[in-house]
Amino acid sequence: MFQEHPATIAPATASHRRALAPVSAPRAEAPARAGELWLAAHFPRLPLDAVLPGTGQARAAVVTALDDPRRTVVACNERAARQGIAPGMGLNAALARVPGLRVEECRPAAETALLDRLGRWALQFTPVVSLEPPAAVLAEVRGSLDLFGGVMALLRRALAGIEASGLSASLALAPTARGALWLARAGLAMTVTRADAMAGIASQLPLACLDWPGDTVATLAGLGIRSVADLLRLPRAGFATRFGPRLLDELDEGLGRRPAPRRRLVVPERFDERCELSAAAEDTAVLQPSLEHLLARLESFLQSRASGIRVLRVDLLHRGAAPTRLRIALARLAGDAAYLRVLLGERLGRCRLAQPVVALRLRSGVLLPLVLRDAGLFERGRSADPEATARLLDLLRARLGQEAVFGVLPVPEHRPERAFRIAEPDALAVLPVPWTAGRPARPLWMLAEPQPLDGWEGTLVTGPERIETGWWDGHDVRRDYYVAFSRAGVRLWIFRERPPGQRWFLHGVFG
Amino acid sequence: MSDALAELLRHPALWRGADAGAPETLPTGFRALDARLPGGGWPLFTLVELLVPAAGIGEIRLLLPALRSLTAAGTEPRWVAWLAPPHLPYAPALADAGLDPARMLVIRPRAGVDRLWAMEQALRSGACAAVLGWTGEARDPMLRRLKLAAEEGRTPGFLLRPSAHRNEHSPAALRLALTARDYGLDVEILKSRGGIPARVERLPVH
Repeated sequence: MFQEHPATIAPATASHRRALAPVSAPRAEAPARAGELWLAAHFPRLPLDAVLPGTGQARAAVVTALDDPRRTVVACNERAARQGIAPGMGLNAALARVPGLRVEECRPAAETALLDRLGRWALQFTPVVSLEPPAAVLAEVRGSLDLFGGVMALLRRALAGIEASGLSASLALAPTARGALWLARAGLAMTVTRADAMAGIASQLPLACLDWPGDTVATLAGLGIRSVADLLRLPRAGFATRFGPRLLDELDEGLGRRPAPRRRLVVPERFDERCELSAAAEDTAVLQPSLEHLLARLESFLQSRASGIRVLRVDLLHRGAAPTRLRIALARLAGDAAYLRVLLGERLGRCRLAQPVVALRLRSGVLLPLVLRDAGLFERGRSADPEATARLLDLLRARLGQEAVFGVLPVPEHRPERAFRIAEPDALAVLPVPWTAGRPARPLWMLAEPQPLDGWEGTLVTGPERIETGWWDGHDVRRDYYVAFSRAGVRLWIFRERPPGQRWFLHGVFG
Repeated sequence: MSDALAELLRHPALWRGADAGAPETLPTGFRALDARLPGGGWPLFTLVELLVPAAGIGEIRLLLPALRSLTAAGTEPRWVAWLAPPHLPYAPALADAGLDPARMLVIRPRAGVDRLWAMEQALRSGACAAVLGWTGEARDPMLRRLKLAAEEGRTPGFLLRPSAHRNEHSPAALRLALTARDYGLDVEILKSRGGIPARVERLPVH
């Protein structure tokens, strides 16, 4: 895929020396920092790869723009491209070409996440990585060339990694970040190493590689400007007046006539350490000392960063089997080993070891700044610790499981079985009470499912309350509810199905 | 007792030993019941046992006024924990009854042993305004632990158990046997700290 290119290309020719061309730039302007070499990876099918990861070439597929009546195709896979579909086409035109086309809407959040993952992946080549949303990653690799055995070896390695994850990218290297980006966007797998060669190369590029706004491109087209070469012939002052200084700056950055500091991708720090056991452990109790050691390390790690965590992961590593993974989500920000030890102890006590454990790995979630609170002089005795609720929640969940502890919230809805939902407990929330004035009383207990009451005997007290609704979503309810007493004196909420059903059901107990 | 002595005894600086044993209480919201309970209400920060012949005869409605004042606006935002309830507490009815559903914490452990453990944790944590527990089988030492946890965590614990346990010994500070009668509740005080066995009939809990 990647072909060898001459390391340098002849500097700009005389014809470019007017106007926007590089050599006309005043010498006072800062040149590109000596020695930088940027690798740009442009992912033209990122919207597709983000929505349909790994679907590859199985079937023609396109991703369409959001909030667009035409549903313009923003990306398509290779099979769709072979059948004549191209980005920019309306969905109807695409469907006319390929009737069985798979169509998905683009998901910007998934694209951002994928680009972020790609950025982290690129950090293996160099610590200086920068994201260029929506679909490119830039990495400054000059310092890494020796390590990876030269430009070609580095490129081969990068390409292999990208292809292995089922993505497609075009890569290019240039002395400026923006220059590399232009080349990559243009799909030119080029390596330009000399700064003074950039203008010559750029003049061969199509205008589209600049990724400028559509109206700017249209205006330029109106002026007869269809390539970067045309653009570079324009006078600087006029260009800046007409299109604003930002685009001129972009050109200067690309050509290396203006420094272009970029925001570096910083991966949030996490704790990740493992501990080998001296002997394989068959019982979780044996893991305690090693866990203790890791927790102490985690604690000092967090302390030195004045941070806490909300998620803790423990992997129990086995020999020749997939690790047992435990995940503990915390209801409050925590950083002290003693607290985490109690939670882990409960969680491990619940865990059955199928295989002996040979090593432990402890990983933290994202670090969050810990806000330290003074223990107030008067905060003693009766006053509850505001963190007590979070601690109780963590402790219960560590032993009983996440789903065994929950809250219940009312939902404004007429169907009784849908008038509440299971929710995350939150003692601090203040709920608006749904409007229920004048409605007959509801039972304090609700059965998971209405139970048939065949041959039941009791006394009806009040009713009926007719609830007849929900026809629009297929879960319609046509019932007459009554309050009744069972023979044991239990106050019940029962209903009779409206004709044709006519059966009696128990739905709630007043408690 | 002479008037002079009575006046002296009202002096705020004077502390009398007889007051020490008086438990902190919370009115139940039912005057007839308060009149029979030592201290005039539910003893707070300890274990109370309610024995019911069948779940749902009115035991929750008996507790509602107390739960309301324990979670009233202005109190600390703490939970009412429902431990292994026989059915799901129904949020719209809780809201109708004047309880903030956001303060309810439902705990449904799978194993019976975990129920006692969870109830103990909830009581001891001090994170709950009240804990209602349906623990089922529980031996005396386990109940003693729960009582201790309630006292340490200064949290009222209400244990709801079948009437079958009526004749067993229990360390609970207050034991009531409930029966349904004429759409109301008959409440029999089996045991109370500093009180005498008594019976309150047809408590209008509806």
